[in-house]
Amino acid sequence: MIEINERFDVSCAAPRDVWKLLSDPHAVVECVPGAALGDEHEDGSFDGTLAVRFGPAKVTFRARIELALDDDKMTGSVTARGKDSQGGSRFRATMAFRVAGQAGHAGQGGSTVIIDGENEITGKLAGIVEAGARIVVKRMAAEFAENLAARCGGAQIKDKPQAAE
Amino acid sequence: MKVYERLAEAFKAEGVTHIFGMMGDGNMYWLEALDKLGGVNMLEVRHEGVGLGMADGWARQTHGVGVCTATCGPGVTQLATAFVTAARAQSPLVAFVGEYPGRDQDYIQRFEQAPFAAACEAGFIRIATPEYADEAVRKAFYLAKLESRPIMLSAPMDVQQMKFEDEDPYVPSSTLLPKQRLVRADAQALEEAADIIASAKKPVIVAGRGALWSGAGEAVQTLGKRIGALIATSLRAKNWMADKEYHAGVSGLYATKTAINLFEEADVVIAVGASMNRYTTEHGYLYPNARYVHLDPRPHVMMGMGRSADCYLQTDGRVGLEALDAILAKRGHQSTGYRTGEVLERLANQYEDRTEFDIEAGTMDPRKLCRALDEVVPQSIGLLTGSGASAGFSTMNFIKPRPFIHAAQFFACIGQMLPAAMGMIQATGGKPLMLVEGDASTMMHLSDFDTAVRYNMPLLVVVLNDQALGSEYQKMVAHKMKAELSTVRTPDIGSVARAFGGRGALATTVDEVRKAAAEWVANPGPMIIDARISRNAITLAHRRVLYGKDE
Repeated sequence: MIEINERFDVSCAAPRDVWKLLSDPHAVVECVPGAALGDEHEDGSFDGTLAVRFGPAKVTFRARIELALDDDKMTGSVTARGKDSQGGSRFRATMAFRVAGQAGHAGQGGSTVIIDGENEITGKLAGIVEAGARIVVKRMAAEFAENLAARCGGAQIKDKPQAAE
Repeated sequence: MKVYERLAEAFKAEGVTHIFGMMGDGNMYWLEALDKLGGVNMLEVRHEGVGLGMADGWARQTHGVGVCTATCGPGVTQLATAFVTAARAQSPLVAFVGEYPGRDQDYIQRFEQAPFAAACEAGFIRIATPEYADEAVRKAFYLAKLESRPIMLSAPMDVQQMKFEDEDPYVPSSTLLPKQRLVRADAQALEEAADIIASAKKPVIVAGRGALWSGAGEAVQTLGKRIGALIATSLRAKNWMADKEYHAGVSGLYATKTAINLFEEADVVIAVGASMNRYTTEHGYLYPNARYVHLDPRPHVMMGMGRSADCYLQTDGRVGLEALDAILAKRGHQSTGYRTGEVLERLANQYEDRTEFDIEAGTMDPRKLCRALDEVVPQSIGLLTGSGASAGFSTMNFIKPRPFIHAAQFFACIGQMLPAAMGMIQATGGKPLMLVEGDASTMMHLSDFDTAVRYNMPLLVVVLNDQALGSEYQKMVAHKMKAELSTVRTPDIGSVARAFGGRGALATTVDEVRKAAAEWVANPGPMIIDARISRNAITLAHRRVLYGKDE
């Protein structure tokens, strides 16, 4: 199990504006390095692919992605489950995110985005990548946060996560 | 005649010239009878498992049957790790072992050897009666060759002392086996394989030790040229044909970044005499878009990712490749594939490793050490790589083709390559050989360096000594564990070698290694260079799996 805890500030944007961006699956997926969103299903879920390089092995995952949003509370969750194109590995990822007013900047309109997630990779890949998977996933999460923040415009990232964790 | 005398005659008649092992109550009569017959060299070792490891080395080098011996009970239990290793290496060998006398059920060395052999993945034959003696030996050699696996031939001590009453000469196992005929692929299957290959824009040929054994080198090059293939080998055929163009090195985690990027483009992989196990293809991830054509003499081989090739050809490697090339020639097929000048340029620098490490004072960068040895030790000398972290350095940094390069890793155990090296030296009639090993591995069977000294073997052991269980050290650092727990001090192993009567050196700089290795090259004999290496240098394989880096 690989846990993700990311948090970043968007000083120049109000929570409602940041939320609008976060609740658009296309915008969010564009911020995930290597990810592409496919067709939408009747139940509101999406197909998606994610290409990840684990050390030497480039692995393409196909996933079914479900998005649950609570507009009033500005909270949401993404669940993705799928397998790689070789069929040797499966993964499950859940990610909860919320937008709040930026702490310490009350009345100035800034936002903070908080992301908590869990990733699990099982199967053959798990044996190949060992500790490397944790690093790759953390690196991707950090890059995702960075992209999202940049998209929000002129945002700064607080407590930039350590890649080597 | 006693049964043990007949058994000695039978082994000699099987063509045995070398036996490796340790004498005990259970085999000493047989060994004395062999000595009387003459023409069979018995090499005494200090640990029974080393004897079996030597027979394994002999088998890997000659593809013939290696022979070892141990006494009953405690002599047999010592064989465990070496047996499993030989079984995984598919080495044909016969282990002649004693067995407690059946009439004494409380015999102190009593041990149930049959289930032990089964657990060690070896075949088992008991010489239950004098009448069965000939057939038992014949069957042991027959099965070892036919199934390419180790066989335990168990001779109860009381049966050995019984009378053998047959005057006819022993009939060897060679009479049971048909003359070796080459396995040829089905014509329809060959056409299907040719269709797949003809459609390839980026074909890769992966040649394994089966291809090497079948003498397929020229056939690989000819087909490779026709279809524009990149040539790779399995670890078992490392550096084979490395002096030829478009050679990408080892397929697997030991591939360079350049090679991996090229493999990724492959649309067809032609595997020849390679099992295509999980390591060769990284569970298939190395070739995400490829279809497979697989040539092997066995009825079928399932690849490591649990998949079967798109077209499997049961064939001898060389004959199969020649047939494919003939079909493609008839069709007028010729393709550029990977063979553009640009790919050649990329491959030219593929072994450069630009990652810098903070090398501790008094130690050396193991990568530089291996490169220096590859230069100093002539290409005519065979190489054995060891286990653990040491293999990660040697495999990536010895890049010259040599008459043979044998890797360990059949059972991922340590300590098995010193025995294999000694067996291979005997198998090649005493040709010099270099083994590059780790410190824990070397220490495990260091007592048997005495064997190398007693028989004056031209063996150079270079110890990549990080004073630790290097692989565990690297993993514990990555996992933020208490890595000091994996550090274990060694003595100056060079001075131990000298105390044994061999030569030895302690080296803390690459120049010292060069000097010592050059002395050995000038005058090969049993020698150990204890080369102190940095713990901060991380093998490329570990950089990949532990840190998610790709170079």
